[in-house]
Amino acid sequence: MTITMSRRAVLGAAGGALVLTVSVADEAMSMSERQASFTPNVYIELLPDGVTQLTVPRTEIGQGVRTSLAMLLAEELAVPFSTVRVRIADLDVRYGSQMTAGSLSVRSLFDPLRRAGATARAVLIAAAARRWGVSPDSCYAVDGQVRHPQRGSLPYQSLLAEAATIDPSTVPVRLLPREQWRILGRPQRRVDTHDVVTGALRYGMDLQIPGTLVAVVARPPTLDATVASVDDRAARAVPGVRNVVTIPSGVAVIATDTATALRARDLLTITWNQPRLNADSRTWRQELMAAAPEPTQIPSGGEVFRATYQMPMLACSPMEPSNATAHVRPDGTVEIWTGSQNPADARDRAVATTGRPSSRITVHVMPTGGGFGGKLFDRAAEEAVRLSAVTGTPVRVMWTRQDETRHCLARPASAHTMVAVLDGSGTPIWRHHGVATWPLTVMPFLNEQFILQDGNHFPYSVPGNVRLALCPAPLPTGFFRSVYSGQFVPAEELFLTAVAHRRGRDPLQLRLDLLRNSEQARLRRCIEEVAEAAVWRNVVGTGRGMGIGCMDNYGSRIAVIADVSVSPTDGLRVHRLFVAVDVGVVVNPLGVEAQVQGAAVDAISIAAGAQLTVRQGAIEQSSFRDYPWLRMDRMPEIQVTIVEPGESTPVGGVGELALPATLAAVGGAVHAATGVAPTGIPYLNRRD
Amino acid sequence: MQIRVNRRLVEVSAPDDTPLLWVLRDHLGLTGPKYGCGIGACGACTSLRAGQPIRTCVVSLAEVGDAEITTIEGLSDNGDHPVQQAWKELDVPQCGYCQAGQIMTTVALLARNPHPTDEDIDEALSGQVCRCGTYQRIRAAVHRAAELAEEER
Ligand code: FES
Ligand code: FES
Repeated sequence: MTITMSRRAVLGAAGGALVLTVSVADEAMSMSERQASFTPNVYIELLPDGVTQLTVPRTEIGQGVRTSLAMLLAEELAVPFSTVRVRIADLDVRYGSQMTAGSLSVRSLFDPLRRAGATARAVLIAAAARRWGVSPDSCYAVDGQVRHPQRGSLPYQSLLAEAATIDPSTVPVRLLPREQWRILGRPQRRVDTHDVVTGALRYGMDLQIPGTLVAVVARPPTLDATVASVDDRAARAVPGVRNVVTIPSGVAVIATDTATALRARDLLTITWNQPRLNADSRTWRQELMAAAPEPTQIPSGGEVFRATYQMPMLACSPMEPSNATAHVRPDGTVEIWTGSQNPADARDRAVATTGRPSSRITVHVMPTGGGFGGKLFDRAAEEAVRLSAVTGTPVRVMWTRQDETRHCLARPASAHTMVAVLDGSGTPIWRHHGVATWPLTVMPFLNEQFILQDGNHFPYSVPGNVRLALCPAPLPTGFFRSVYSGQFVPAEELFLTAVAHRRGRDPLQLRLDLLRNSEQARLRRCIEEVAEAAVWRNVVGTGRGMGIGCMDNYGSRIAVIADVSVSPTDGLRVHRLFVAVDVGVVVNPLGVEAQVQGAAVDAISIAAGAQLTVRQGAIEQSSFRDYPWLRMDRMPEIQVTIVEPGESTPVGGVGELALPATLAAVGGAVHAATGVAPTGIPYLNRRD
Repeated sequence: MQIRVNRRLVEVSAPDDTPLLWVLRDHLGLTGPKYGCGIGACGACTSLRAGQPIRTCVVSLAEVGDAEITTIEGLSDNGDHPVQQAWKELDVPQCGYCQAGQIMTTVALLARNPHPTDEDIDEALSGQVCRCGTYQRIRAAVHRAAELAEEER
């Protein structure tokens, strides 16, 4: 990390702004290739009007990143939280990766932002000390001012010019000790809520650029289908329709407004070549099950216990479906507006589609209605670029909910073969986990090693091995919250619960027994905390029961207890959910709670029946009706306990943390309630 | 055709069967009501017709008649309707995309039932999907909005 500082004239403001630039290593890509880029990618501008503007190369997908990052900076810079404005940067090669994924946004910026704030604070103190003719050590900063016991105070704004002449490498930079934090670790409400509750926040879908045409696409009805012929006469006859264009992803109708485009799309008569009418996810299931590796050799000396599990395909289905606006101009420039988790993808697609150099392409990152991994690959932007190249106007492509569901990049399905050797007391002394799944077709270079790194997080002291078999993906696949951990962890946890029940042991106690080492202490503590909060009871076969699920991943720990009933009339109902998380240093407890609740809602939805299935070549589901997400009437009370680890623990990831463990906890509770071990997810209403 | 939206009479030229959602968004520039599904299955587009919540994606322009339509933009001048205040106080939204629909549904609920129970809330709000899972805070905020409205009376 390097921090540089300069004074820059700010148009329209009196005097100059003090600008700090920070280079943050590209950690979002650490899973594959970390670029050694040392160009500045975070900008901090102290403006003459007292506002501090922070520009970051990350996207707000609802995770509250703008709030957390403002907190980090405000703390060390010693300015009121309310004076920090966070801007999401437009895409720029200088920023390196601008991907928002992997629960990494706060983790990658935690140190750099605080250090930058502390540097600016030190420089401002040095400037004030120089003006006063006192030692910097006798000054301190608070509320956007430098103070001195005798000399009084100077607001930062009055020091900007002098501060800019000071070389930041010459001032001592000290991070605030934790006991002096006033902002970090305290509940902080979101910075953007007023705009949300007044309807003023403009998402990508809400852009109103004059002259924009709206396009919707008639997409292939079955996998890999292509257009054989189109009769678009009826569609073109609709007033307001401007064009009908066949593109690689289907047939696009371009119109003056959305309703017209949708109406005309329904009037297209398209003949499709449909090479995969027989594709059926039941077959895929069987293939995965058959491919899940068996152990080559099982150690002797105990009872051999085995089980198999199946995990479903899933769609991210963010609340705001994919959409993007593009303007391909005659002068060779391309402008794109998109609510993407990965704006570089939109740029790369524009380069590939138009042949124009990336230097002519601007991508504006819009606020977006949820991501969950579903907005990393910007097919809507590619379509908008193609169509704008035809019309010469700005074009907004909107995916319908049906498009978003049927043409999603599916979270891969998986099959798991679990084998354990149990000693006389029923404690597992050896384990085997054989996984068969598909790669992510959107990232062909992410190989088995990546999948194991992402999915394999068994935290317990049981020796053994994990073996992975990758089968060819039968449909386009991509990211989903927790990706492979969302398969591996529930399978392992369900199995551990089954191991416990096998000999009438308490599943929670068994976990504690397997977490006796000091490096397991953080997870252990989460389990103890959650057991106490939930008043854990191991009761089996009464129709209602508790289950536990745990995970150690993303630098964090989590333990979840679900209290669940299963009945013929009411189905699977989660009554209460107790969560204990250790996310290292807590930036914003409200943000942690919100992320945990959100991921838990995902898990309960999936546990109770949200899944994708394929029949006759097509994904069957198309909306929240048949891909049902949890709603208010089935929302349990979720109690989140934040466990604070010791001083030196780094900040951990939060966004993806609660999904795998909650899936496991609900499954364990279903096992307890019914006395029957689940064989896969969903626990109820499973269709293969 | 003329319709009443947010206390104004506005002129719209669109086919009769145009879903009100697209009239609001594309013709009138009121982008507060959101598109989530277009088939009445998610509630993101919910606005009020004569005080009653409607799914604007499945109500046609012709069905509006001369009833007053209220979108989130027309709820208050400064974002200080008790429901909006409660939403801010309890930090409800995450991505925020569903929240206009949640808020408008709550406004209608409180108008007919100033002190809803949890069961009343379940019944009124279970048509509204929040993909970010903010339900727990929504429930608390509905109760809080009821209190704030009581104080204002
Ligand atoms: S958009 Fe109207 S209910 Fe979903
Ligand atoms: S806040 Fe994101 S969908 Fe509700």
